[in-house]
Amino acid sequence: MEIVTKNAPHLRRPNANVTRMMRDVSIALLPLVLFAIYQHGVGGLLILLLSVLAMVATEYVYYQISDCIERLNEAKTDTVQQIRDLRAERKNLKREWKNEKTDQSREAYETFLKTYEEKMPRLKETLKQEKKEASSKDNLSFRLNNKSFTIYNFSVVTSGIIYGLTLPDTIPLSMVVIAAVVGLLLSKLIFGGMGQNIFNPAAFARVFVVLAFGAALSYDAFVDGAAGATALSALSENPLADNVTEHYGYWAMFSGIGLPGSLGETSALLILVGGIYLALRKSFDIFVPITYLATVFVLSYSVMLTQGLGFWYPAVHMLSGGLFFGAIYMATDPITIPVTRPGRIYFAFGLGVITFVIRLFGNLPEGVVFAILIMNMFVPAIDYPKWAKSRFSLRAILIFAIVVVAAILITNLGVHYGL
Amino acid sequence: MITRSRKVSDYKQLTKELPTLRYVDPEYVYINLNTARCKEYTLNAKKGDRVKLGEIIGERKGPFFTQPIYSTVSGHIEDVVEKIDSTGITVECVRIKNDFKDTYHEDITDRPDSVIHNMSKEEIVEIVKEKGIVGLGGSGFPSYVKLDTDKDIHTVVINAVECEPYLSSDYRLIKDQPEDIFRGLTYIMQASGAKRGVIAVKKTKTELIEVLEREIARFNEWNIQIAKLDDYYPQGWENATFEQAIGVKVPVGTLPMDKGILGYNVSTCASIYEAVKHNLPITKRHLTVNGDAVKFPQNIRVRVGTSVRELIKLSDGYSEEADKIEVIIGGPMMGVSVENDDVVVTPTTTSVLVFHSVDHKEEPCVRCGSCVFSCPVDIQPVSIMNAVKRDDTVSLKELEANKCIECGLCAYVCTSKIHVTDYVRKGKQQIG
Repeated sequence: MEIVTKNAPHLRRPNANVTRMMRDVSIALLPLVLFAIYQHGVGGLLILLLSVLAMVATEYVYYQISDCIERLNEAKTDTVQQIRDLRAERKNLKREWKNEKTDQSREAYETFLKTYEEKMPRLKETLKQEKKEASSKDNLSFRLNNKSFTIYNFSVVTSGIIYGLTLPDTIPLSMVVIAAVVGLLLSKLIFGGMGQNIFNPAAFARVFVVLAFGAALSYDAFVDGAAGATALSALSENPLADNVTEHYGYWAMFSGIGLPGSLGETSALLILVGGIYLALRKSFDIFVPITYLATVFVLSYSVMLTQGLGFWYPAVHMLSGGLFFGAIYMATDPITIPVTRPGRIYFAFGLGVITFVIRLFGNLPEGVVFAILIMNMFVPAIDYPKWAKSRFSLRAILIFAIVVVAAILITNLGVHYGL
Repeated sequence: MITRSRKVSDYKQLTKELPTLRYVDPEYVYINLNTARCKEYTLNAKKGDRVKLGEIIGERKGPFFTQPIYSTVSGHIEDVVEKIDSTGITVECVRIKNDFKDTYHEDITDRPDSVIHNMSKEEIVEIVKEKGIVGLGGSGFPSYVKLDTDKDIHTVVINAVECEPYLSSDYRLIKDQPEDIFRGLTYIMQASGAKRGVIAVKKTKTELIEVLEREIARFNEWNIQIAKLDDYYPQGWENATFEQAIGVKVPVGTLPMDKGILGYNVSTCASIYEAVKHNLPITKRHLTVNGDAVKFPQNIRVRVGTSVRELIKLSDGYSEEADKIEVIIGGPMMGVSVENDDVVVTPTTTSVLVFHSVDHKEEPCVRCGSCVFSCPVDIQPVSIMNAVKRDDTVSLKELEANKCIECGLCAYVCTSKIHVTDYVRKGKQQIG
């Protein structure tokens, strides 16, 4: 028996771990996955499977390569540095001799040249040997386990499911795979893997689909849904048209049954069920979706009031186009949102405003994923040590209230004069 | 998980209802001569000298105070040896061989209540100073300094919260000697002129509240209340206790005395009673031996100066299946992990905990924000950790890393099992 010393605290919360958190998100997504398969059949299942597999495989291959490089680097010795030093020294002495043109400097250079010529071949020989050893050892061989791979904590699986659920069912499978690979690589892996990414991988991959393959399919059928115009694409063409609810009743929009749209975004009901599960398990920060949804509701309600529209207007905005899905599953990814409670509320408010503005004034009928990526960029600014505070101060509340009022005013003025 | 989580499982049920074992007669006691606060000392006794219980054998010199060193047994002085004390540093200790007679020094006489009743503030302060009473909650700060304040004191708060898990020494003290605590409180109130006395205790400890409420009836001429606090960690942190017990917020950087509050730990209060009433220095204290790697957890009333090794032997030793253990002096959240069990019990040693050493697997931080939400002083441990990693002193100052009280909650709640507290501690040191 041996007594070891550690720093306080010596206790840890037993049930706190990342794996549980990520696994909870996957569990909360299960009803949506089943619903998507029910709605879209084998096609939907294929898209989901491919998006998860593509992301997992990308991460696996990436870490195989990076681990391999790391092992090679570890095997390297300082021989390379020694060679570099020798060369630099020779260059230095030569320059000195040419500049000063004294016998002394010439002598120094020549004596050094002798040792240089003596040492150099030997060093080169050892370097060759070492390179051979490093690559011949099992450093380059395949190892099933690689240490940075994070499949065990479900983070990449969760990203894959979320990404798959945002896709429309008519998308060609090759696009699913390409966007998944590129999205995960560019948004997460090159930043240093889990915990280091700035952008939400699922949102990034989804936006990549829109930007890279948008022309291959028409916008209507693509960004916001499947075959047939959705409520939002109808709104996009004519922002204040009041006939959108004629096609779909409130219940259809809430439950998602028979509604065209992305695989998992149509059923607000099932998304809410997952959200409640996550809230009960405390696996996400509930303030983010609440603020996000409330912002969109308040903005659309104010437009309803100033334009004399019916209650269908905020209802359509709330229930369609992946707002619930984005608010509950994508905007709550803790890695890409601020760490303080006020910061998270500012972040979610920004999401709401940008989503609504893109829907009203933008070229695209849908703005949730774009809003998430745009606000992801502001996270370091919100978390900046100088002004990030853990609690609301009176001043912060006042400024925030002014910003909220200004956002409502500007939106309504824009609607009045711009549309 | 991603929420404000300040609940810490307290594990006190292991020991809190066990009777207090008395282990007051070790063969040797080791009286520490210097402490973390007092680096220098003089020892007036030499080898072979016979000392009595409560006799002054030397003096510690602190930065602005001196403290007499008392013998806690009667017997013969032997040599000076090196031991570890409760703060984990190596100190010099004088070894005294116990003659098991407990012959009291001539000065140790009881004061009649009538005398105590007429004592002035200066007299009580003098006794507390002379008997070397220090904060027994773990701070070791001399108690007379607080008592001697010239500020206007309206409330005395006795801190019996004991929010650290596993510890039940204060719990047992209140159950065993409730009267001492009340008497001590009345002495403090008499000295400070406070109108109100408050005993702060967690509301989950119903047995204690029962005991205290029964006792309060006997002191109804004093305005003493019991404040029942919520079961949070770190509710026993002075400022948190004051905030909930009497509703006064003490900002970081100011002293409670400025707000008219005096705060004492419950064991300090009991030892003030012994000093004033019996003229005794701190010779015994309640101590908990607990943890999952000790065979028989229990509460012990020990002589100050006992070796912890003997106490562990008394608890049937370490459990055999443990191959790596941690020995912690103090609570599991803020206690000090010592490198061997050759530790001496000082007045501030509240407990000895022995744990199986678990190596937590650290995962990358996912910025879940639990540490930010849970922090009792509202700083952002995760941002401080990142600032420490990139060596960013400017950010550390802006993030107010120096406000940290090192309660350990951020590491406790961390979902990635990162030792956040360690990083914050480093950050605190970096900006001084």
